[in-house]
Amino acid sequence: MRIGPSGKERSSVTLTMDPLFLAWSYFRRRKFQKCSNICTKVLEDNPYDQAAWSLKTRALTEMVYIDEVDVDQEGIAEMMLDDSSIAQVARPGTSLRLPGTAQGGGPSPAVRPMTQSGRPITGFVRPSTQSGRPSTMEQAIKTPRTANTTRPVTNSSGRFVRLGTASMLTNPDGPFINLSRLNLTKYAQKPNLSKTLFEYIFHHENDVKTALDLAALATEHAQFKDWWWKVQLGKCYYRLGLHREAEKQFRSALNHQEFVDTYLYLAKVYRRLDQPITALNLFKQGLDHFPREVTLLTGIARIHEEMNNITSATEYYKDVLKQDNTHVEAIACIGSNHFYTDQPEIALRFFRRLLQMGVYNCQLYNNLGLCCFYAQQYDMTLSSFERALALISSDEEQADVWYNLGHVAVGIGDLTLAYQCFKLALVFNNDHAEAYNNLAVLELRKGHIEQAKAFLQTAASLAPHMYEPHFNFAVLADKLGDLQSSYMAAQKSEDAFPEHVDTQQILKNLRQHFAVL
Amino acid sequence: MSSVPMELKDSAVTSSKWLDAHYDPVANLYTFSSCIALADLHGDGDNKLVVGDLGTGAGNTKLKVYRGIGLLSENTLLDLPTGLVSFLMDQHEPRTPAIAVASGPFIYIYKNLRPYFKFTLPFLEVNTLEQDVWSQARQDMIDTMTLKEMLESIRAKADIPLSVRSLRFLMLEPQEMETYVNLHKQQPIRRQTVITCIGTLKKNMVDEDAVSCLVVGTESQDVYILDPEAFTILSKMSLPSVPTLMDVTGQFDVEFRIIIACRNGNIYILRRDSPKPKYCIELCSHPVGLVRMGKNVVVGCAQETLQGYTQKGKKLWTAYLPAPVTTMAVLDLPTRGFQAVLVALANCEVHVYRDKNLVSTIKTPDVVSSICFGRYGREDGTLIMTTKGGGLIVKILKRTAVFDERDSAPGPPLAQSIRLNVPKKTKLYVDQTMRERENAVAMHRAFQMDLSRLRLAAARTYVKALESSLTPVSASLAEPLKMNAVVQGLGPSFKLTLNIQNTAVCRPVMNLAVSFLYDDRLYRMRTAFFKIPLLVPGLNYPIDTFVECLSEKGISDIIKVFVLREGKSVPLLTAHINMPASEGLALN
Repeated sequence: MRIGPSGKERSSVTLTMDPLFLAWSYFRRRKFQKCSNICTKVLEDNPYDQAAWSLKTRALTEMVYIDEVDVDQEGIAEMMLDDSSIAQVARPGTSLRLPGTAQGGGPSPAVRPMTQSGRPITGFVRPSTQSGRPSTMEQAIKTPRTANTTRPVTNSSGRFVRLGTASMLTNPDGPFINLSRLNLTKYAQKPNLSKTLFEYIFHHENDVKTALDLAALATEHAQFKDWWWKVQLGKCYYRLGLHREAEKQFRSALNHQEFVDTYLYLAKVYRRLDQPITALNLFKQGLDHFPREVTLLTGIARIHEEMNNITSATEYYKDVLKQDNTHVEAIACIGSNHFYTDQPEIALRFFRRLLQMGVYNCQLYNNLGLCCFYAQQYDMTLSSFERALALISSDEEQADVWYNLGHVAVGIGDLTLAYQCFKLALVFNNDHAEAYNNLAVLELRKGHIEQAKAFLQTAASLAPHMYEPHFNFAVLADKLGDLQSSYMAAQKSEDAFPEHVDTQQILKNLRQHFAVL
Repeated sequence: MSSVPMELKDSAVTSSKWLDAHYDPVANLYTFSSCIALADLHGDGDNKLVVGDLGTGAGNTKLKVYRGIGLLSENTLLDLPTGLVSFLMDQHEPRTPAIAVASGPFIYIYKNLRPYFKFTLPFLEVNTLEQDVWSQARQDMIDTMTLKEMLESIRAKADIPLSVRSLRFLMLEPQEMETYVNLHKQQPIRRQTVITCIGTLKKNMVDEDAVSCLVVGTESQDVYILDPEAFTILSKMSLPSVPTLMDVTGQFDVEFRIIIACRNGNIYILRRDSPKPKYCIELCSHPVGLVRMGKNVVVGCAQETLQGYTQKGKKLWTAYLPAPVTTMAVLDLPTRGFQAVLVALANCEVHVYRDKNLVSTIKTPDVVSSICFGRYGREDGTLIMTTKGGGLIVKILKRTAVFDERDSAPGPPLAQSIRLNVPKKTKLYVDQTMRERENAVAMHRAFQMDLSRLRLAAARTYVKALESSLTPVSASLAEPLKMNAVVQGLGPSFKLTLNIQNTAVCRPVMNLAVSFLYDDRLYRMRTAFFKIPLLVPGLNYPIDTFVECLSEKGISDIIKVFVLREGKSVPLLTAHINMPASEGLALN
């Protein structure tokens, strides 16, 4: 019989279709809610239908699934109370935590702005790029830029808890599986059920301890020969902060089965243990087995970037692009690197490529506008910014666009417009330290010394990692004859950017002044 | 990585001149170059190291004697030592030198490491008016407040300064004065000075084991020369300022020179038969170390320079140092006819200068605070250093060491030959400039049009923001205010700090209030409205309040802060605080 266009005929067909098959079909089309609903019905008829039960767990897991490889948020407790670090001050070039270990000759902070952790800003926002390692507890618990909070989260909460609660909200009539009443030993002996059950516990319920118990029982049942369970054990250990145990499990899993994901997990462990060199070696090992694997190459590039070795990072990103020429992260990073090494016309090419690929957002237009301005393609500059303003999704983005427009206005010498733009940046983001700093300079030009001082102090308190407000304050105080304040500010500026020649000059002058009778 | 082998090589060069004899980082020895001496205390040809240890706190001062690498003896000192010298008092055999430790107004003489004699500086003239006032107080003719007033007037006018007792009295709180006066009024008033530096001067012979006089500089701007046996004052000279460092040469009975660096930044040169300084060297910054090299004077200045002068005060040369000087000493090897200046620097290095040429550099593990070169044990060329952290370093100059004297006058600076890393202009750039050249008019027009549109858009948004007072910086001229907010905490309790500052030049701002606007289902505030005190211009006023998050769903919201003027409903300032999500629920 032919399935005709008439509605009646079609409905009769769906009625006769096997509900489990339909659920499976929904699952494959990623309509997880519908899939789960059908499974629920099937289970109401037959509570012991293992296929339906398994499918439902998978559907529920998929709803909240996030790729464990990329999610990496270091908690506040891990940052401040780190017991796995061996040396307080690591040797240069061996740690991700020392910001000042530039060795690749990357651009200085005078050219490329720094993040709070002292690294040059990247072209692509990743979970670990923003949160730096705060030096004091005070800095750790403060929210410097409140909305896109760059603050580290506490370990057990943060994203994981929020995901867990989100899934709780989807099931108002209680959880699907009652974990406390589950007989883990029984399930561990059924390989066809245990894997889906594990993923459900791990991702949906976010109960790492129970998941760990299950994984331990299951791997025992598989006589420690199943690499999959070892990887899962490693993931559990990692979540619980037992990095060395996680390392052991991942290593053992790699012995059974070479797998890209396992390499990525293991590298993540090493990054958390602050052993970037080991992680790099591991990636290279992985590349021997999986030559030119994009994720491994990206991992290497990221580590180089975090260690301020921008030139090598760019090399690896270029390798990535040879394999996958639509890799957004690689294009964005290479583009921003070209922008900050005084080649905006090439950066423009990369950002245009992103546009051609269909990335269509405020950040991209903002970058395009800046590149156009600095590459002297003036006719496209302001229209790009206009589009960026039209595509804004949050106040912070709007603040950043206005801030950049302020820079353009300074560039064309329209200080009134610049003043308005920087003020607008502050309207949309009250904690925009860079805007405060630039406003202070404009106020100083107008002769409003008190205002300028207040703005600089605010900028310095909002962003202690920036050297500009400290340096500007030092210059201002020096001109006013307040040498002590000037000296103190210059010292702070030196801490933030030790190679800054002008700071050195002002410090030298002040020291000479203090020493002379 | 490249810097590490460089360092190794460098220390290898240094170690070719110096042998590392001993390093004890925890020797617990805190002293300065003025309180360290090498002396053959027992006359057996085995030189000991004598150190006046300043200790770490009060009452820890000790006189320590080292032999080899071990501590030989330890005597407790009553007060902080200011100087320590060893000198021969008499002609008796065996020729064992005595140790003189200057401390406060006293010189303690030790012989055979036993206390032998205590010399006290002569008392200074006391102001007669002060004496009268205290005698009246003794007879209870005046009360303490009158006493205070009278002493203050004397202090302001008189040319003879007040005694320590009166000065201390003037520092006291009114309720303590009575007991203080009753305690002290019976004793006579004395005015005493303290020793600032000490040196030795041969009496009448040039020999190494000749009898020496003590030369003492005091806080009262005087220099005394003392007889070694009777401890009577042989000669007294006065200076225009307080002496801090001194170097003495010659013989008392023949001709001598005392070179004294003073607290006013001048160096004075005293000679026999002149109670006033003969020559004066005016430095451009404070002297930190003073060393005599033959007939020249080498001064380390606070300005990171080393300067050479003749004894008549003519400047010879200046060497620029990489770091501030901590202390200086002379390196004298008469057997090899070699003399140089040891300069310890704050960057953990000791430089050896021969005239203005750097001939050797020693890297030390810590900043050197005192340094001394001479015969220690039976080794002639021994360098002894103590560090800021209380360590003791002993190094021996190799007998094969050669100090090659190269003129360190540099040629063209190194930076001249370094190529700047300027990126090349790409082909793309050239193409774009071509485009720019061809379409200049069109591009300019497009840009100008966009610019006017942008100006309009910016002005509109700006006016909108001003009208609704959205800025955290007030634009009105009457109340130029600035506010920023900081949120602290992990939740569910947050601390909200508002930093409010009046940025006017000299006008205070009054009658302001702060209120908050927030979703009361999500947040609770202990005080959601309060008044701001008078704002003095230029000061930052942090105002704290506490916010509690009521939601357990990990949701966050915006809290709006308004600064209002009393009697007006339009806010002066507005700040939007994006609250972080509460993480306190993880505890539940």
